[in-house]
Amino acid sequence: MEHIIIIGGGGTGAALAHDLALRGFKVSLFEKGELLSGTTGRHHGLLHSGARYAVHDPTAAQECIAENSILRRIAPQALEQNDGLFVALEETDMAYRRVFVESCRACGISVRQLSAAEALGLEPALNPNLKLALQLPDATMDAWRLPLQFFATAKANGAELHSFAEVRGIHVRSGRVTGVRIFDYKKHREYDVRGDLLVNATGAWAGKICALAGIQVPVQPGPGVMVTVNARLTNMVINRLHPAGEGDIIVPQRKLSALGTSLWLANDPDGIALPRDHIRRIIGLCAQMVPAVKDTPLHSAWCAARPLLGGRKADDPQKISRTFDCYDHKERDNLEGLVSVMGGKATTLRAMAAKTADLICRKTGRDLPCRTAAQKLLHWRLFYQ
Amino acid sequence: MQTVTFRIWRFKAAQIDPPQFQDFKLSVEANMSVLEGLEKIRQEQDQTLMYRHSCHHASCGTCACKINGRERLACITPIKDLPARPITLTPLDGFASLGDLVVDMHRFYKNLSADWSYLRESDHPGPSRAPREVKPFMRFENCVECGACVSACPVTPESEKFMGPAALAALHDELEKSPAKAADLLSLAGGSRGVRWCKSALRCSQVCPTAVYPARHIAELRRRGERSTK
Repeated sequence: MEHIIIIGGGGTGAALAHDLALRGFKVSLFEKGELLSGTTGRHHGLLHSGARYAVHDPTAAQECIAENSILRRIAPQALEQNDGLFVALEETDMAYRRVFVESCRACGISVRQLSAAEALGLEPALNPNLKLALQLPDATMDAWRLPLQFFATAKANGAELHSFAEVRGIHVRSGRVTGVRIFDYKKHREYDVRGDLLVNATGAWAGKICALAGIQVPVQPGPGVMVTVNARLTNMVINRLHPAGEGDIIVPQRKLSALGTSLWLANDPDGIALPRDHIRRIIGLCAQMVPAVKDTPLHSAWCAARPLLGGRKADDPQKISRTFDCYDHKERDNLEGLVSVMGGKATTLRAMAAKTADLICRKTGRDLPCRTAAQKLLHWRLFYQ
Repeated sequence: MQTVTFRIWRFKAAQIDPPQFQDFKLSVEANMSVLEGLEKIRQEQDQTLMYRHSCHHASCGTCACKINGRERLACITPIKDLPARPITLTPLDGFASLGDLVVDMHRFYKNLSADWSYLRESDHPGPSRAPREVKPFMRFENCVECGACVSACPVTPESEKFMGPAALAALHDELEKSPAKAADLLSLAGGSRGVRWCKSALRCSQVCPTAVYPARHIAELRRRGERSTK
């Protein structure tokens, strides 16, 4: 079978290594740092129902709800499956309700309306002045353990996973990618790896990798700040019932509550300093939904760069679609042997991998179906056993 | 902004071998964590510096190391809270280093069964007033599997035979959740790799960053073991 080289050990690379190994390909994955140390592990841990995108980005919403139900089946140990509430606090939220509910239903996302009293019965910490809440199939994921389950399964099926191994160069001969130059941080040496196809699964770093091959890709880093406070204030994920914006989500996890998030556009995914003023802003906005947020000690704050597809500085970044795509650089740039997958969300990692592996099958002339939707993943603990 | 020195234990097989300390001076803002400091060093001074990290909020457990001699998570350790200068970083004890602060976690996970559930019924924010026709709210266990307790334990670095505090705490959690497995679990806890090795030093509970208090679980397993043999 063909040897497929994956660059990037985040959620996308993990799911792709699993998918390709299951289809029988020889797989080698290279990650410049620890596995899952880029954007993947650093999100707030929401398993999207898709509701957040239903009104303005139905493609992403439909991808999310489909993957939401699949991940519940194949990785239940990495999920707190407690649903989510979208809470209406003001008349403008109430006015948004109708288009929100219709859009969710059109995307196949189930919605159940709760009175304020019913919502407070489920979640006593909610703002007592809420007008109503909508219950949706959101959930909390462990942002590290869920993708590590994909790695554990990929490894058991023969994928070779190399952490602290950075791609420093892409070898091209006669318009065709033939392999990569690796720097191994563990052994402090460089070496070459030959492959039949190279997949760029580096998310917000995709532009940097493609630059090694002298080509460009339409991906832009879109960092955001996330905050945790040191108490679990709710059991369900709490969202503000309004168009996607900043500071409108609280994701409970273990004994913490993660608050999200802000969004801006950056040119470089590395070295993004945490804008400390965002922390207060996010806490203030989230406290409108759950007032105890502002009286709970700050636990930590950090930022991560989303891989936004087709983003341009002039765009309103909230309006950039959160769908994903994969590109055959033979068609885009007349460079054979290189595929890039980008965009998407942690929730849709499996679907991103499936679409990319389908493309790889077409390119290699193999008729091998995707089997990852039905295959329960190995426990993350088995990655180390 | 203030300038601090990070004194970091460096090791690369056949390159920096034997290990040696290296000092890095960096300017830091108030509230910056030790992990942010490491990121800044890697970005600005030495990209060959190796450490583990992922979630940056004490959920994944990967960034555990010894900071000024004590096991901590670098992500939730503010630099300003550390009285001693320089800030000395060394890898966890009892694990092999794969490079600098990165340790091989196989030894840790070998003792944690994949059959033990990572989910428990949520105890926060207290019992709901809602009718309980729905299934109970669930949440992840407290333990983030960081290895701090195994490093701090006076027994585990000496003997690989001991399962260690994290595994025994997880075993006890599983016992509480699955009484039907009691015979097997108590036999494992009371067996040749179990609670008999514990010297009740309590270091595990002192360093645990997520308040698992493994020593309490071990004490409870001992009580259960004694009861079942009477």
